[in-house]
Amino acid sequence: MIRLFVLGLALLFAASLLVGSAGVGLPAPVILWQLRLPRTLLALLVGGGLGVSGAALQGALRNPLADAGLLGISGSAALGAVIAFYWGFAAAFAPALPLSGMLGAGLGAAALLALAGRAPTGPSLILAGIGLSAAAAALLAFALALAPNPYALAELTFWLLGGVADRTLSDCALAAPPIVLGVVILLRLGAGLDALSLGEETAASLGVSTARTMRGVALGTALAAGAAAAAAGGVGFVGLVVPNVLRPRLGERPAVLLLPSALAGAALLLAADILVRIAVLVLPLNAEPPLGVLTALIGAPFLVVIARRLGQ
Amino acid sequence: MRGIRARQAALALALLLLSRVTAEAALRVVSLDLCTDQMLVLLAPQEIAGLSPLARDPALSAVAQEAAHLPVVRPSAEAVLRLHPDLVLAEPYGAALVVTALRTLGLRVVTIRDPQTFGGIRAEITRLARLLGVRARGAVLIAAMDAVLAGLPRPTARRTAIVLEPRGFAAGPRSLAGAVLRAAGYRDAAPGGWLGLERLLVRPPDLLVLPEAAGTPSLATDLIESPALGAIARRTVPAAWLMCGSPFAARAAARVAAR
Amino acid sequence: MIGVRDFSIELGGRRVLDHVDFSPLPGRLTALAGPNGAGKSTLLKALCGILPGTGKPDPRRVAYLAQGARAAWGMTVEEIAFLGRIPHGDRAPEPVARALALAGVSTLAGQRIDRLSGGEVRRAMLARVFATEPEVLLLDEPTADLDPKAAFSIMRLLGETAAAGRTVVVVLHAIELALRYADRLVVLDRGGITADGAPLAMLPAAAAAFGLGFGQDGLPHLLPD
Repeated sequence: MIRLFVLGLALLFAASLLVGSAGVGLPAPVILWQLRLPRTLLALLVGGGLGVSGAALQGALRNPLADAGLLGISGSAALGAVIAFYWGFAAAFAPALPLSGMLGAGLGAAALLALAGRAPTGPSLILAGIGLSAAAAALLAFALALAPNPYALAELTFWLLGGVADRTLSDCALAAPPIVLGVVILLRLGAGLDALSLGEETAASLGVSTARTMRGVALGTALAAGAAAAAAGGVGFVGLVVPNVLRPRLGERPAVLLLPSALAGAALLLAADILVRIAVLVLPLNAEPPLGVLTALIGAPFLVVIARRLGQ
Repeated sequence: MRGIRARQAALALALLLLSRVTAEAALRVVSLDLCTDQMLVLLAPQEIAGLSPLARDPALSAVAQEAAHLPVVRPSAEAVLRLHPDLVLAEPYGAALVVTALRTLGLRVVTIRDPQTFGGIRAEITRLARLLGVRARGAVLIAAMDAVLAGLPRPTARRTAIVLEPRGFAAGPRSLAGAVLRAAGYRDAAPGGWLGLERLLVRPPDLLVLPEAAGTPSLATDLIESPALGAIARRTVPAAWLMCGSPFAARAAARVAAR
Repeated sequence: MIGVRDFSIELGGRRVLDHVDFSPLPGRLTALAGPNGAGKSTLLKALCGILPGTGKPDPRRVAYLAQGARAAWGMTVEEIAFLGRIPHGDRAPEPVARALALAGVSTLAGQRIDRLSGGEVRRAMLARVFATEPEVLLLDEPTADLDPKAAFSIMRLLGETAAAGRTVVVVLHAIELALRYADRLVVLDRGGITADGAPLAMLPAAAAAFGLGFGQDGLPHLLPD
């Protein structure tokens, strides 16, 4: 299974280098290395980070609707990144951008997990998440309006819709360490998440500390989803869709979904980004559709299906 | 050198004339949008009852310094009504709800056209000057603009340029940016609309013109830092000069043409 | 090796256990009985070390089955059983296979737990406890949701487990199961132990704790009216 994912990723990687608004085929070296390679790497990093974050959040909260975007963690990350970027911290110190993204995501995740610890039932958690994302989106717009920025609307579009186009290798270098570290932290939480599926007391009797697992999830998600949002804005639904697609095929045990969710998340986001580039070539569009729009179009029907399944 | 000296002489003359021209009639005028703000400051500063708050933003407004000492009014019907203006100026796609409300309440609201050529700018200045009762000042303003344009090199089809706006947008030859590039002696190589770095690099222009907003960090403009664009010559122009079809577009052309 | 001494605890502002001394013994099946709110489940959790202020025993040696234990996901019975290997940090198949057989759910190994009946779920959860191969089994109402026949077979199995030298503590609601299978009956009432000894001898105390009257035949009603 894992081998299949890796093969798929390799194919997508090659396709991603060969497709773009400049046309299909091997492009000029400057386009290949300075535009398509960074965007490909960033899509893989962001998709992988969001995929495994979704799987870990769903396991920790015992809720298939959990997702960094839906729960407002990505939104809080974008808010943190926006504050760092537009108020000049990122210009003075480049890593301030992912760092404040992670800080925002960490605060969002901590607030949410603290709340979920008391009432981990589906609707209340999702409602809290909706509240958090609405507040984050509002504060983000507010922060942009306050920042002396003539392009506030263009900027708002980016942060709310997300995308990986026109990035540099140094953007990737900035995003990669926190995302990779977050993914590694989340991948090591398998046993803790498995035990949690039996409830906190049983988990404790198995020698698993719920508090430590939750802290791991919050930290890993803050790193992976936070840095992802700082780099790519609000690309949503990847963490929601991927584990739910894999669950009927790989089994429902949280641990078995972690690594495949990272790989499939990377594949999904890269495929979506290639699709966005094909769309501008074959459709009468004068701009690439934002990546976040495409993932939302894929993800929204999913949300409906999962919500209906939960209701039964 | 001779071109520059001639231009300086023309500008000095224009300023002299401007300072002597007095209002033919005293109106109270409110402007709701950035482009009308700039025109109003240039044509009839003594008639201003209120500018939009954008007029004072140095990142957007070419008249920010002047506007700092002029009254501003929030673009809301209530706030405007309180000033009892004789005339309200607005942009076609600006505060549409406010415009409708003010018209319903019986105020005279004139929406300007957003000219995309220097000919259009001349026509718009003439029209507004007549509306504001400052025809002579309008003529002087046009003369000053033409003096700047006259000092620029002859158009050539060989050198290409693109005005790259935030998030990879390039308005193309039929826009104000295109008119500015033509006036500066370049051919606008943008097809019009969203361009993105990849399409830009397929046929890179000789020059990239980058509108620069006074020292505000922006992700939208951050993409020009991409090393992919490293090989292309670039020149920055204050974004405020390219924001509206106004005489400042001529200054933008002069900046683009400068060696 | 496991137990509490002079143990008191307040939960939610209420004193749930009050100066309790209790130690189960290896080789014995000990039943905890008493009315709702007597503190049975709390005592079991105290033994397991999952209450605040209680010492944490080695999770490889002590296994716990929570009351009405369920799984959050539609895992298979076999996957549930494998969770019992978490304390050992391995995924050894032999103890899991043995545990599935012991709990009588080998044939259900590939079934999703959310598609099973209440009794089957309980057995799957027991298989998880057995898969740890613990020395001490702390089970909160392992026979709930079971029909009498299934309940008897589970109790028999637990009796055999105790006879093999393990320490087995079971919270029971149905006192007749304690009378029939337990080696020792501990009666709790309002946070204290009111009786502790051989099950039959403890019957009057148990009946008093449950508030049961005695019938015309001189024996207590075994079930509330």
